[in-house]
Amino acid sequence: MTKLIIYAIPVIFLFTGCKKNFLDINKDPNNPTRVEVSKLLPTAQNALGNALTIGNGNLGGLSQILSVYTHQLTTREGQDQYGYTGSGFYIGTTWVSVYQGALENLEQIIKIASASGDRQYVGIAKVLKAYAYSQLVDAFGDIPFSEANRLDSSIRYPKFDDDAAIYPKLFLLLDEALADLGNTTALNLNKPGTDDVIYGGNIARWIKATNTIKLKLYTQIRKVKDVTTEVNQLLSDPSKLINATNESFLLPYGPNGATDDRNPGFGDYTATQRGNHVSPWFYEILKGYNTRHFTFDISDPRVPYYIYNQVRKATVTADPTEYRDSAFISIYFGSRGPNRDRNAQNVISLMGIYPVGGRYDEGLGGTANAASGTGAAPYRFITYADRLYLEAELIQTGIVTGNAKTKLQAAITESFKQVDYVITTYIKPAQTVPVLSGTVPVTNYISQIILQYDAASAALKMEMIITEKWISSFGSAVDQYTDYRRTGYPIIFNPNDPVMAPGGFVQPPLNGNPQIVGPQPVVLVQLQRPYPNSLPWYQAELETNSNAPGQKDLVNSMKVFWMP
Amino acid sequence: MRKFLSLFIPLLFLAAISRSQNKIITGKITESKDGNLLTGATVKVKGAPQGAQSGADGSFRISVSANAKSLVFSMIGYISQEITLSNQTNFNVMLVKEEKKLEEVVVTSFGIRRNDKALGYAVGKVDPASLLQKSEPDVLKSLQGKVAGVDIRSSQGTPGAATRIQIRGNSSFFGDNQPLIVVDGVPFSNDQVSTSSQTVGGAAYSSGISSLDPNDIASMSVLKGSSAAALYGSRASNGVLIITTKSGSAAKSKKGLEISYSSSASLEQIANLPEYQNDYGTGANFLFSPASNGSWGPAFNTRDSVPNFATYRNAYPELFPASGNIKYQSFPNNVKNLFKNGSVFENSIGLNGGDDKNSVSLTASQLTQKGYVPNSSFNRANIGLGGATKLNIGLNVRGNLSYSRSVQKGGVFGNNQTDGAAALFARSLFLGRNWDTDLPYQDKAGNNLTWNGGGQFDNPDWSARNNIATSNEERMIAGMHADFNINKWIRVDYNLGNNVTSLDRREVTEISSRAAEGLGRIVLDNYRKQEIESNLLLSISPNIHKDFAVNLVAGNNINQRTTTRKIATGNKFITRGIYTLGNTSQQIFGPVVSGVPVPSFGDLYIRQRLTGVFGDLTLSYKNFAFVEVTGRNDWSSTLPKANRSYFYPSVSGSLIVTDALKMKSPIIDFAKLRAGWAKVGRDALPYSLDNVFVLGANFLGQPTASANNGANDPNLKPEFTTEIEVGTQLSFFKRRIEVDFSWYNRNSTNLIAPISIPSSSGYATFNTNYGRINNTGIEIDLTVRPIQTRNLTWSIHAAFTRNRNIVKELIEGVDRLSLRPVFNNFGPYLEAGKPFGFLRGEKVIRDSATGALLINPGTGGMIKSNELDMIGDPNPDYKLGITNSVSYKGFFLSALFDMTIGGDLNSVTVSQILSRGVSLDTKDRLSNWIIPGIYGDPSTGKAILNGGKTIPNTVAITSNDLYFSPNTNNGATFGGNTAAEWNTYDATVYRLREVTIGYEFPKSLFKKLPIGSATLSLSGRNLWFVAPNFPKYTNFDPEVNAYGATSTQGIELSAAPTTRRYGINLKVNF
Repeated sequence: MTKLIIYAIPVIFLFTGCKKNFLDINKDPNNPTRVEVSKLLPTAQNALGNALTIGNGNLGGLSQILSVYTHQLTTREGQDQYGYTGSGFYIGTTWVSVYQGALENLEQIIKIASASGDRQYVGIAKVLKAYAYSQLVDAFGDIPFSEANRLDSSIRYPKFDDDAAIYPKLFLLLDEALADLGNTTALNLNKPGTDDVIYGGNIARWIKATNTIKLKLYTQIRKVKDVTTEVNQLLSDPSKLINATNESFLLPYGPNGATDDRNPGFGDYTATQRGNHVSPWFYEILKGYNTRHFTFDISDPRVPYYIYNQVRKATVTADPTEYRDSAFISIYFGSRGPNRDRNAQNVISLMGIYPVGGRYDEGLGGTANAASGTGAAPYRFITYADRLYLEAELIQTGIVTGNAKTKLQAAITESFKQVDYVITTYIKPAQTVPVLSGTVPVTNYISQIILQYDAASAALKMEMIITEKWISSFGSAVDQYTDYRRTGYPIIFNPNDPVMAPGGFVQPPLNGNPQIVGPQPVVLVQLQRPYPNSLPWYQAELETNSNAPGQKDLVNSMKVFWMP
Repeated sequence: MRKFLSLFIPLLFLAAISRSQNKIITGKITESKDGNLLTGATVKVKGAPQGAQSGADGSFRISVSANAKSLVFSMIGYISQEITLSNQTNFNVMLVKEEKKLEEVVVTSFGIRRNDKALGYAVGKVDPASLLQKSEPDVLKSLQGKVAGVDIRSSQGTPGAATRIQIRGNSSFFGDNQPLIVVDGVPFSNDQVSTSSQTVGGAAYSSGISSLDPNDIASMSVLKGSSAAALYGSRASNGVLIITTKSGSAAKSKKGLEISYSSSASLEQIANLPEYQNDYGTGANFLFSPASNGSWGPAFNTRDSVPNFATYRNAYPELFPASGNIKYQSFPNNVKNLFKNGSVFENSIGLNGGDDKNSVSLTASQLTQKGYVPNSSFNRANIGLGGATKLNIGLNVRGNLSYSRSVQKGGVFGNNQTDGAAALFARSLFLGRNWDTDLPYQDKAGNNLTWNGGGQFDNPDWSARNNIATSNEERMIAGMHADFNINKWIRVDYNLGNNVTSLDRREVTEISSRAAEGLGRIVLDNYRKQEIESNLLLSISPNIHKDFAVNLVAGNNINQRTTTRKIATGNKFITRGIYTLGNTSQQIFGPVVSGVPVPSFGDLYIRQRLTGVFGDLTLSYKNFAFVEVTGRNDWSSTLPKANRSYFYPSVSGSLIVTDALKMKSPIIDFAKLRAGWAKVGRDALPYSLDNVFVLGANFLGQPTASANNGANDPNLKPEFTTEIEVGTQLSFFKRRIEVDFSWYNRNSTNLIAPISIPSSSGYATFNTNYGRINNTGIEIDLTVRPIQTRNLTWSIHAAFTRNRNIVKELIEGVDRLSLRPVFNNFGPYLEAGKPFGFLRGEKVIRDSATGALLINPGTGGMIKSNELDMIGDPNPDYKLGITNSVSYKGFFLSALFDMTIGGDLNSVTVSQILSRGVSLDTKDRLSNWIIPGIYGDPSTGKAILNGGKTIPNTVAITSNDLYFSPNTNNGATFGGNTAAEWNTYDATVYRLREVTIGYEFPKSLFKKLPIGSATLSLSGRNLWFVAPNFPKYTNFDPEVNAYGATSTQGIELSAAPTTRRYGINLKVNF
């Protein structure tokens, strides 16, 4: 009997071991193989925003690099002196965020929603896809396009397409999107709603955004292609374009509530090593200090919305500072000054409430922290103001007929409204922030600029349009970089320019530092690289993609095809 | 105790007394050398079943029949002695201690016991006694330097930190590549459960083996190669560590009841600190700055006073003079004062008793360790119980149950120079020389205070008291074993075991820390892993021929592993000091990786199953030639159905040359040659076939999902490791010199691993079969016994390990893979033709023609290259451990000296010590320096030519700039902010690792006590080391590592330095 039991034990185990489905347990119980497109859309939209914003050390992308290249920010990191390399963190976050975060999920939406007949989703996904690729082309030139995101067709190593060949396909894609969005016969059992965090499922606004993207792209290529027909057609019915402040194409961010939805650019408020300084060049233009600039002696009322000073005018800093103007503290682009690298993170001036949801500067100072603001500033892809600046530019060049002055005036007026709109609609600060639009300083500012515009040469008029757009778009630097390369404006700081930096030295405001008896010391600056025509490719992409070209020459970097 | 004994003794003698006898023989058994009385020796009548054992006083009493011819006296560890019976009825027998036997029995796969000489592969044997009472609570660390071929590396110097064990190199690209550990027949997971990234935070996580009680170990063998491990299959391609516990074996004791008690107490200290300069305070280029982190300011004797620390003045105005100034002075002991004396206390009691048929074993141990950092500790309690019985029907049954509980507490590590990180050692070893660590570390509300303000680091004292990770780990092992001899030559063994480990961890970042936005954070991690293993073995050993022996083992193995895990993160404490999720105002499901919550890792259930059948056939001829053939077929749940079944064989053989040739040489007394070839298959990780979507955190209130960035190959095949091994064992001059040598060549092919694919594919990785890794190496164990006299013995054991671990192939189109993302400009990589996990990072540009450094004429510094390149190889050239053991009468002394030659380490600590100007290395700073090199153009990366000739650098830079790059990209120097290559050092280190001196009290002292033996010893650990290639005054010990037990080696990110211990140990047997 006992013997029997002994034999039985292993037999029982063998038996259970050979049970038919014993080994069929490899279906992942933790992650689904199918999801609804409504879950993918917010991911893709968020990723696209993250790929373009100013960064916080973990998230963020192109604007973290390009705001330095367009001289709105300065840093001590690789961006300084245009030295950002393909192994730089934010080139990586951009590339990964666009291709893996945005495009892969958009392709999934297109695939799933096409099958189910949900054309509205397909249309939105195509618009976002076209916009994402256009931003990559504008920044990098040639990029993987036709073979990208095709792993399901076993394409592991997408080739890089010629940038000039990509743009026409983007226009086609945008037209397809318009057809999908306007498709009235489609089933559309599932329609985008609150999951569409950009327009909340408002298809009319998506159509407006699509047309405006087309307008922007045509404007960008105007120097290499005659776009008269296309832009005039688009402008023939302004109601089909972004035509009001609340129609702006932007990605909202939120506060640090149930989840942390803050704009990555707010990261400097919570950072343990603050790295972003507001560029003295930008600051001096805003303040009307720059004697070579058309804003000379005109103070921009947006300064306390754009810049937050952590100190007060009277604050004594522990260490000497490089650039100080009353409470404003910063460092120069290309600085070699002895005070550049000091531990000044609690005294430097930061981006304010408007671009990143930080603090409106009441002049009281205070070390920035998580409670300084909500961080709920949107990333602005294309605003209504941007559309007006595009129109002003097109009129100024004669491609479109009209009154460039009134367009510029409308654009600047809209730029101020946009600040108020973003603060009240999205940022919702705890502090009281005064309204800008319609105030005396704002109307004064606009009328003085317009007065100068009237008197200006054609070249200066163009400079004024692009420069005002540059000021207006603080925080969204990709199009600024594009505008600078295709128009040469705004005028940016050049340490090698003997007028801007005589003998390689720049002079901070003479009596800007209240702690110093006598003038602030001059600062040695240098620039050892030419202006980059495009950004280097993501190094890891090149190293993992057998069909990728070699890295660009940083000195003579590849021109994007629309550059003159 | 006596009472207890007295209950047992009669039982033991029951059998002897109950028969009618003719003659009673009595006597005493003593040890031949020191005359100590031997307890528990067996006395048997030759050829008869009856026997007796010597009592506590060494005396024996046995009744023998009249026709008995002789008596046999035996005892484990002694040479048996036969005495012919005459009329004499009283004998005094002296037993001679046995030298280590060559024909040892070793435990191989599935607990199969084999004669050492029959093995065609190397098996490392570890004497458990050599691991105990060495002032080392970690069983793996106490193995260091003792077994050839076993590479053991430690991580952090705080209690409980993980230890990495590696045998014959890495054989997979991304696994942890640690050997399979089998305890009492059940795999014992040595997982390091990492909750937070160890790059930017994370604690000194322990690895699973830390829960094992060294006191409970009865035997340990190391199956180094694939031949040895082939039967274990899948997970054995990195070798196997087979551990049998006392409770698991429940082996019969030498005498009726054996009780052993051991106790150790050690003092633990930080092994070494840098030697600091005390001439200069904080600032830059001799200018004072209170906000500076570097001690490059003015000399102390040049200024009387300086503005005091603003943060302190604001927090404690009453502590400072009204002037706002304080004396400008150095605090020579400010670093030393951060640390205290730690301690290790260990107590263990073991009971072992039974009779011929039944035995029981119990071990209970308690370990209390306090580290040198305040609030760091490791406590462990273990209970192991085992019992065995022989049933009359011939069935042997054994069962065991063990429980361990450990609590590890400690701070957070990682690189502090990353946003959101707050490392405990962010500044500890390179404090500003004028920073007073006697000042309070927090303000009156409990907020972190630092000397220079600015929130660049957490005060180390505050951090140690507030930012604490606590890990509670429990492990339960239950096992049963039954064996039955069907007849004389067929035997069945069945083993079933369950090993459950559960980890409950809490990581706290208190309000006001640099991390978590200063708002506080808690991360809870609940991890449970269960492993069930069932093994059935049928052994057949028929007698076929007198010269030939055959042994066949056939078996079945069923294994199931289940892991569940729950991670939750709470942000923004509502109030200070309460560490619950409820006390946070934002809860996130899952961990936060690089600032982004990852809910898809928040709640996991993972299960995999494997069944296998195997066979092992051994043939021997005249006991001098042996051949072993094995084969195993596995069916794995993790592979696609079509590829689920895979087979792998092995063959090995050995020849005892001395026996075969009947050599009788006075020089060589034993020679064995062995060779083996084996193939081992391995399956995939669970759930790595389908492409899935991962669920994300809500964005703006909207639920989200995303295509997973890891794509999978649905047609995975098993991967295989093939190894050839040859070796020899030689013994000379009557075992005065013994050598065990092995050479092996191991190739792992068709590895299952994710390859990095370009982001433009839409994915980050694609999991598939590819590549090849080669390990080639030699292992030598050399024992020399120069003196072997009755009173004095001296033996030297050397263990030499050399392994070359080269990645031979990746996949077409992929140049290299990142082994682990560390930083953009630096990390460990895999590349065809390069050593496993080589360090690749930023370098400076050298002239392509001459190799001269290119110097930027504008800064006098070097120019960094845009491209990364190889900057180091973390794999050592070789390791050598030399143990000297001397015993003189009852005294014994043993000392282990070991060295690691070669292997590179990138050190944040050394970089910081130099760049902050705190050690004597940077004390002489009055002169300026010119970096030897030629001028280069930073934008082209080419040498600047003047008339076709290069221009030598003549730009002088200050000492401050020499160690702290004035311009990261265009003016890199040494120390801080420079190319990673300058902070990578050859980590060669020589060390006096272990010294024990002790005395075994003569048994004559305990004649009237129930004490069998008593040993008192003093032990010291890590008493001296020198790492000659690091800057001299940093006193840096390279035996630290940021990533614990993982395969990422050679990277140190502000680690806690190693420890030194002095201990006193007592061991008593009753």
